[in-house]
Amino acid sequence: MAVELIGVTKRFGAFAANDDVSIAVRRGEIHAIIGENGAGKTTLMNVLFGLLQPDEGAIRIEGKDMVMADPAAAIAAGLGMVHQHFKLVPSLSVAENVFLGMEIRRNGLIDHAAQIEKTRELSERFGLKVEPTERVSLLSVGIEQRIEILKVLARGARIIILDEPTAVLTPQESRELFQTLRGFVAGGMTVIFISHHLEEVMEVSDTVTVLRNGKHVATRPTAELTKADLVRMMVGRDVSFARRRRERTAGSVVLEVKNLWARDDRRLPALRDASFTVRAGEIVGIAGVAGNGQTELAEVLTGLRPASHGSAVLKGRDLTTQSPAQIREAGLAHVPGDRMVRGVDGGASISANLLMGRQTRAPWSRNGILDWQVAASQAADMIKRFDIRARGPQDTVKRLSGGNIQKVVLAREFTNDADFLLIDQPTRGVDIGAQESIHDEIMRQRAAGRAVLVISVQLDELLTLADRILVMFNGRIMGEVDGDGADSERIGMMMAGVEAGAATGGAAR
Amino acid sequence: MEVLDKLLNVALLVATLRTTAPILLVGLGGSFTTKAGIFNIGLEGQMLVGAFFAVLGSIWSGSAFVGVLCGVAAALVFALVFALLVVTFRANEVVVGLALNILAGGMTISLMKAVFGTRGSIVGHGIVGLPKVQIPWARELLGSWAPLVSGYTPLVYVAFFAVPLLVLFYRRTRLGLYIRVVGEKPEAAEALGISIARIRYVASLLCGLLAGLAGAHLSLGYITMFTENMSSGRGFMAVAILIFSNGDPLRVLGGCLLFGFADAFSLRLQTFGFPSYLILAVPYAVALVALFALSYRSRPRIIRETLESMRKLLSVEPGRADADNTPST
Repeated sequence: MAVELIGVTKRFGAFAANDDVSIAVRRGEIHAIIGENGAGKTTLMNVLFGLLQPDEGAIRIEGKDMVMADPAAAIAAGLGMVHQHFKLVPSLSVAENVFLGMEIRRNGLIDHAAQIEKTRELSERFGLKVEPTERVSLLSVGIEQRIEILKVLARGARIIILDEPTAVLTPQESRELFQTLRGFVAGGMTVIFISHHLEEVMEVSDTVTVLRNGKHVATRPTAELTKADLVRMMVGRDVSFARRRRERTAGSVVLEVKNLWARDDRRLPALRDASFTVRAGEIVGIAGVAGNGQTELAEVLTGLRPASHGSAVLKGRDLTTQSPAQIREAGLAHVPGDRMVRGVDGGASISANLLMGRQTRAPWSRNGILDWQVAASQAADMIKRFDIRARGPQDTVKRLSGGNIQKVVLAREFTNDADFLLIDQPTRGVDIGAQESIHDEIMRQRAAGRAVLVISVQLDELLTLADRILVMFNGRIMGEVDGDGADSERIGMMMAGVEAGAATGGAAR
Repeated sequence: MEVLDKLLNVALLVATLRTTAPILLVGLGGSFTTKAGIFNIGLEGQMLVGAFFAVLGSIWSGSAFVGVLCGVAAALVFALVFALLVVTFRANEVVVGLALNILAGGMTISLMKAVFGTRGSIVGHGIVGLPKVQIPWARELLGSWAPLVSGYTPLVYVAFFAVPLLVLFYRRTRLGLYIRVVGEKPEAAEALGISIARIRYVASLLCGLLAGLAGAHLSLGYITMFTENMSSGRGFMAVAILIFSNGDPLRVLGGCLLFGFADAFSLRLQTFGFPSYLILAVPYAVALVALFALSYRSRPRIIRETLESMRKLLSVEPGRADADNTPST
């Protein structure tokens, strides 16, 4: 056994994040650990890696009892962890990042040439292609992840822990990563990876461990399980991930975007010649790897970024010349991609957050004076309707879990009677149970005749929801795919910038 | 032509280097804290106590060298207090820096009163200034250009030689690398077991060291006296240069040379009978305008966004008019 966790319990106050969890990981296998958000996956790995100290339980590495007092002890024991959020220094080169903290020195000075040489060696040996002299700030997330893995390998790790490694990757990049991981285990190393992405767990892992509410539910060979089994074990009940049933209800055009261009913060073109329409009663999905112009598109449509060319007409009004307030008045509801930055004021109460944007309207405001009682009772209604798990309307938003914060944003935006809903990453960082109810709500908005534009980096989500899917790459709309019977392989190719053959040109419908 | 000859000559260049040296020393000191991610507005105060205690030490010991050590020690105490409050107790760095500046101003004045019984300035009293360094063979080799490299007080050389040393320090030493990492991506440092607090203390003390040297240079090298508030905004200019240069030693040098040139040039202008208070403002104005122009391209996001939304409101976004005229495809 490469790793054994025996009866690990970790409490934060009265709350047990891990409750008597025992897992054994065999040497040379890819072991997936899955569970909803808050199931205790990351806590467990942090205990294993010495970032947290368990209250009870023992850790054995290669059969030997170990006390992981700090990450240095874990590294010495042959463990390496690739965190979900990369910890690379943008202004340093690849080699400098790989050897940061263990610099190769000659005569007291850092020997850059030797570091570059060693990095190249590692990169070739493990098939992780990088250019050691390049600056990290210029590289894509996929390559950044390779650098993080190289960092771990350079420290001599034999057991590699990856925390949600594919959350930021394209399907193709994920596939490459899996190949690399396969190479690792073939060479006698051991891989533990955390995920809540079921497909990839099925695809790549040898063994699956399921956690729920901090408890160990099962550890089984992947081959014996189906996706439905995993979901049942994770959630404790059946959840449907099938495509939502629907009737064709697309009506008149609500939003028409024509030849829209915009620049990013570095003044480079980030959105190039986008043209599409969204009709009443339909959900249009925007697929693509993060950073391919989706953010800029959303910001232009909401008035947060100027367009450099083109138009976006919402019910006869060109949004590109309007302020955010005017655009909202014209009939936009916006669920932003980063809820803590633009979605909510974390320090304020739920009712204050639900009030935002309608503070000048009755019944929330009378004669210019806010009626907090009305706000609180409205908030109480919305908490009930959207199933927000909170102690009450006065609860501070940042105390809530990610899924519940997202529901606060949805509750505010979906009750504005806006004709056009722009939803950026509806379920980012939201657990499966809450995902389902958020999807239900979006489908209800569709049924109510709203025009919905959903931007998501999770293809599954768009396949579940969208009537039509537009794929963005490098600021362009690469093509359009019908939601019914959509081929995720083809969408993946378009996400990677490969022209969609026959489907090209369909974007400007 | 005669006027120009009078204005621009070797003497002006020499004066530029002389006036650049103190601000360069303090600016390079601030480079450490800037790179380590601390906004150190307390440079002015550290420089001032450095200048005062250098004079005190010089009188007390009769040695300029001991004077410099005393000045550096005093600045280090200030730097330590700054680090203690900002790094350990996480106080706001601007508030702490300003408070220490005010403390330095008041403290030097009252100590001056207590020790010398005077206000305004300390002259004489047996202050031993730093000797001028004569580079051998300079006159023979360079002729009339010799004053450019020879005849400065030692800390001028220290200031200019510190620039390549700092470049090497950031590029090739572990400490230099860690200072950059702590400033740029603290979570990366933390993940690798680098103590952010310790690195920030070290950076702050290195900063105190150079700020103390800058102060000692002012009162024992640049001139041989101490006057109230004699740092006269150099610390703040250094802060401005640091913001625009992001603490890169070469760019700090560039900014300081610019300031030094403007300062020397304004002194020269005084001989032409312009009102002195206007002339005294020249170096600050020139340096600010030039620095703003230099950083215009990388101007902060907030300015860019404001300009962009103003442009949008006025609907003069270039290209839009053309776009409306061309038939859409």
